[in-house]
Amino acid sequence: MIDGLRKYNRVVLEVVRKDLLLELRSKQVLNTAVVFALLVVVIFAFSFARSFTDVGVVGSGALWIAFVFAGTFGVSQSATAETADAGLDGLLLLPVDRSAIYVGKVLSNTVFTTAVAVITFVCTVIFLEFTVPLDVVPILLVVFVLAAFGFTSTGVLIATMTARARLRELLLPLLLVPLVVPVLLAGVELTRVLTEGYVTWQWLQLLLVYDGLLFLTGLVTFEYVVER
Amino acid sequence: MASITAEGVTKRLGSTVAVRDVSFTVESGEHVGLFGPNGAGKTTLMQMLATLSFPSDGSIQIGGRDVTPDATRVRRDLGVMGHRPMLYGTLTARENLRLHARLRGVSTDRVEEVLGQVNLRTQASTRVETFSHGMKKRLAIARAVLHDPTVLLLDEPYAGLDQRSAADLQRILDQFDDRTVVLATHDLARGATDCDRALVLVDGTVSRDVQIEDSATDALETVYQRATDPADQR
Repeated sequence: MIDGLRKYNRVVLEVVRKDLLLELRSKQVLNTAVVFALLVVVIFAFSFARSFTDVGVVGSGALWIAFVFAGTFGVSQSATAETADAGLDGLLLLPVDRSAIYVGKVLSNTVFTTAVAVITFVCTVIFLEFTVPLDVVPILLVVFVLAAFGFTSTGVLIATMTARARLRELLLPLLLVPLVVPVLLAGVELTRVLTEGYVTWQWLQLLLVYDGLLFLTGLVTFEYVVER
Repeated sequence: MASITAEGVTKRLGSTVAVRDVSFTVESGEHVGLFGPNGAGKTTLMQMLATLSFPSDGSIQIGGRDVTPDATRVRRDLGVMGHRPMLYGTLTARENLRLHARLRGVSTDRVEEVLGQVNLRTQASTRVETFSHGMKKRLAIARAVLHDPTVLLLDEPYAGLDQRSAADLQRILDQFDDRTVVLATHDLARGATDCDRALVLVDGTVSRDVQIEDSATDALETVYQRATDPADQR
C-alpha cells in the first residue's frame, strides 16, 4: 500500500518535473500566453480606458479574458507535446494507476496558468491602472491558483480527448469553456470584490467545491479518455 | 510455459471489427512474427497486447495475468516499441531515458548501459528532435528494454529505415534474443530471420499460423501470398 502510494507520487512528481522542463526548453506556452495577455490588456486600454469610469471592471475583464485564452492555449499545447512523438503512450505503459499522469498534468498546467494570470495581473496594473489593496493581493493569488486548478482539471481531460481530433482548436474551447463557467464566474466576482477590499466567502466556497468536483471527475474518467 | 495467451480476442472500433476472434499462444522465449497487409489488424492487436487498449470480447493473458483487470501488473513485464518513439523531442536522449528510469524506479547506471547497447552513448546529450529516424528507433528500443522486461512487443521496428539502419537495428535487437518477442512487420525477410513462428493476419483474423524453418524467407513468402490472396481465401 505504502509502496504503491510512493510509486504513485513518484509518477506525479516526475510528470510535473518533465512538463516544467519541456516548457523551460520550448517556452512555447509562457511566451505565447504573455504576448497574448499583453495584447488583450493594451487593446482594453485603447478601447475602454476613456469610456469606462470603473477601472476595476475593465481590469477584471481583461484579466479573465486573458486567463481563459491563455489557459486554453496552455492545456492544448501540453496535450500536443504529449502526442507529437507519442510521449503520452510511454507514460501510459507505466505500471501505475493512470490517474497519476492526470494529477501530474493538472499540477504542471496549474503552474503555467497561474503564472500567466499573475503576469496578466501585473500588466493590468501597469497599463490599466487597475489597483487592488495590498493586503488582499495574497488572497487574489489564492484565487488565481484555485481558478487555474479548476480550469486545468477539466482542460487537461478535454485537451487529451481532442488532441487527435481534426478540429481540436475549435473543439477544445467549445467543450471546455461551458464546463468551467462556475470557475470563471467565481474568479470574476472574487476579483471584483477584492478590488473593493473585502472577500465574499460564498464565491470562494463555490470555487473550492467546483474545483473538487472537476478534479474528481477527471481523476475517475482519465483512464477511459486515454484508452483507445 | 505460455507467456502470452489470447483467446477469442475481438476488437470493435465503432462499427468496424478490427480484430475478430483471434486466438494464439506464445511460449516463453519464443519469437513470433505478426504479418499481414495494411489494415489486417496487426497494430490493433499489438495495442491490446501492450495494454494501450482492451479487447471488446475475449481475453489476453500475459505471464498468467489477464490484461483487462490486471493491466498495471502486466505492464511491469512489457517492453513496447510502437510506430512512434514515445519520447520527447526537446529532451536529450539521456534525459528521456532518465525520465523513464525515474518513473519506473530503475537506476541511472542502467540508462548508461542501454545507451551503450543501442550505440547512442556519444549522442546521449543531443536533443531527440535532431535525431535521424534510425536513431529514434534505437532510442525507442533503449526505452523499451530499460526496465529489463520479459516480453518485448515490437510494432514495425524496421519501417522507414534504409538497409544499413535496418541491419544495425536487427543487430541491436539480437542482443535481446532471450526474451519473448512479438514482432509486427511487413518485412518478410527480416521477420523470417528474427522469428520462430509466423501468424498471418488477414481482415482481423489469423489466417495462417506456421513455424519458420531456418532461412525460410521463400517459404514464408509463399505462405504469406497464399494467406493474403483473395482467390486463395475463397
